[in-house]
Amino acid sequence: MFGIKEQQLDWNSGTSKTITFIVTKDCQLACKYCYLVGKNEKERMPWEVAKSAIDYVLDNENDPDFATEGVIWDFIGGEPFLEIDLIDQICDYIKSELFRRNHHWFNSYRFSFSTNGINYDNEKVQRFIEKNKTHLSIGITIDGTRRKHDLNRVYKGTEKGSYDDVVRNIPLWLKQFPNASTKVTISSADIPYISESVLHLFELGIGQVNINCVFEDVWADGDDILFEDQLVKLADVIIDRSLYKEFACSFFAEHIGKPMDCKLRNQNWCGSGKMLAVDAVGNFYPCTRFAQYSLRDKEAWIIGNIHDGIDKNKLRPFLTLDRCTQSNPECIDCEVAEGCAWCQGENYDAAKTHTVFQRATAICKMHKARVRANNYYWNKLYRKLELEGKREEFEKTHPNVKPEIC
Amino acid sequence: MKPYLQYLVILLDDTSVAYCHANNPLTKRNLMPIDTLKKAILFGMKQNLMIQYVYPDYELPAEYNEVIESIDHVKIGKDVQVLNEVPKAVITDNLVLRLTIADFIAHQYDLAALLPQVKRLNICLTDMESFTDAQQENYKKALAALNAVLANLYKSQQQPQVNILTDRLTLTEMHNCEAGIGNITVAPNGKFYLCPAFYYDEKMGISNRMNHKAKDASRSIGDLDNGLEIPNKHLLYLDHAPLCRICDAYHCNRCIWLNDRLTWDSNTPSHQQCVIAHLERNAARDLQQQLKEAGLQAGDEIKEINYLDPFDVKETW
Repeated sequence: MFGIKEQQLDWNSGTSKTITFIVTKDCQLACKYCYLVGKNEKERMPWEVAKSAIDYVLDNENDPDFATEGVIWDFIGGEPFLEIDLIDQICDYIKSELFRRNHHWFNSYRFSFSTNGINYDNEKVQRFIEKNKTHLSIGITIDGTRRKHDLNRVYKGTEKGSYDDVVRNIPLWLKQFPNASTKVTISSADIPYISESVLHLFELGIGQVNINCVFEDVWADGDDILFEDQLVKLADVIIDRSLYKEFACSFFAEHIGKPMDCKLRNQNWCGSGKMLAVDAVGNFYPCTRFAQYSLRDKEAWIIGNIHDGIDKNKLRPFLTLDRCTQSNPECIDCEVAEGCAWCQGENYDAAKTHTVFQRATAICKMHKARVRANNYYWNKLYRKLELEGKREEFEKTHPNVKPEIC
Repeated sequence: MKPYLQYLVILLDDTSVAYCHANNPLTKRNLMPIDTLKKAILFGMKQNLMIQYVYPDYELPAEYNEVIESIDHVKIGKDVQVLNEVPKAVITDNLVLRLTIADFIAHQYDLAALLPQVKRLNICLTDMESFTDAQQENYKKALAALNAVLANLYKSQQQPQVNILTDRLTLTEMHNCEAGIGNITVAPNGKFYLCPAFYYDEKMGISNRMNHKAKDASRSIGDLDNGLEIPNKHLLYLDHAPLCRICDAYHCNRCIWLNDRLTWDSNTPSHQQCVIAHLERNAARDLQQQLKEAGLQAGDEIKEINYLDPFDVKETW
């Protein structure tokens, strides 16, 4: 393989059903950019609810919605590892039921976690990892340097940052999952620290840094210029130090920043509606972002529950969504449309009416800034490769990967 | 051409007759104040809208009649008779029949007997949301029973129209309810609604889904003093309805109130609405073939298709 780090796709990307258990709405942290407006210590998933949800999904193996090749059993919070006993019980039950039922997902499943990493080295968590390591994906969220991380990721009830408690677990995590990636979230206050933070994560040994701006309307005047400057600075270091050979940052992707045709390229960005989330009382959602604790202004979009099953009518808007129908004319005609992301949940929350067909555009100027920096990155990298006589080889061998956000 | 606003529906009273899918749950009289009525008429005149008064079942005060007659109009509940059960005989040639699916099926032969007596029969199913796949065969058979009578009438030069069967024969593109874009409703409170059903919902305190940020259950889209303001109006148009824009059940009501209620998105029809519309579309196809075999003109060919819900074949779009 030519010496540029590929951006990784998730396990079985596009061919797996993601089923998310919102095991708790509690978290040790109160991150300032967290979209979960309704976190609390009370709503913890009882075992009976988890079991019923699993039974419902497995009982409906022949439903076209559950006919995917594989399944990702996803655990989210709050902080999911606060409920490690429940998670362990859930995973044991899933494995035994897949075997007992001779289910087509047997040996085609993954357990997936997004954790703040604070109790990653906890004995119970480690025992769980050891037991399930061949079927695990675990992402620890670390935002970068101490000052960037601690700017937002603070303990609840205090302003104490969590950096030290997370970073101490990174070596263990990377030892167990050498190809692991981290997800970094950028809001307005973080912009000055982007470059140093990504480089810091590389220094920690994290090969892939997935990074995105929050979709909410938080951006101040001039943020786009600062953002672009940071990305250009980052591009310079990555290329000048040849870091691109071992590390990848999702901000720089070759395919982005092109116009898109409404007939040829009209697919929806995210997988809401194809996923299934279940909360502590057994309600189903098209993704976790439609649960009440994720929504500021709208009521939860509940598509069913463990007792009555899924009301397929409530899924129809999601499964007929396309890019252009939900986009305004400016987005449709945008010359740098490709790679501009959206979150269906934020679209719904910010919409003027009860709809998932109104695309939120708060991220527009940040995307355009990213595109300018991305163009700079690739032009600079191509020139370097050209001068090194490696351009042609790169063109022939590099993967054309288009990572999905969710 | 995109639809444009042509009709103003004026609900004269809270108890005005329900004439479409939604039942009117309001039982307490609340007559539109006469000044509001005058404002509504003035709005209609200035916007060049055809007025459709919807009447309650009691006589209006005498002073209303002069105001009502001051403009061209249609009287729903009077000129257009609205019934909730199948009559033995009709006294009007333009009849709206609001029936449950079970009643439609049970009274299919009584309905067939009415056809020679009417010029136009609009059938509104009042419980589409509860339609089950198990009812498909019986609904199909009931449509076939009406078709048999219609075919004979057409052969004998009578041409009664039945919305769910004959409209599709002559349509070459979608012709739906068009609430909010082809017609709007003004209620006794002087506020605009997409259709009467949204007013009923507001009065009944049913959760607001069209303008979700309002703290109350408001479903209004403006008022006579400040004008119309329809948020996300573009989503009411066919080109913003992914399922409907590729569909050829052209006669379908595409009821946005039902969409809002069953799928929670105004531009997305429910499975029930799609299946019912396609059973009717396919019945219209059968009627078309019968008429063509008899040497009669029956519109552009309605093609054979192998689905009842376009959602089921969305991968092939």
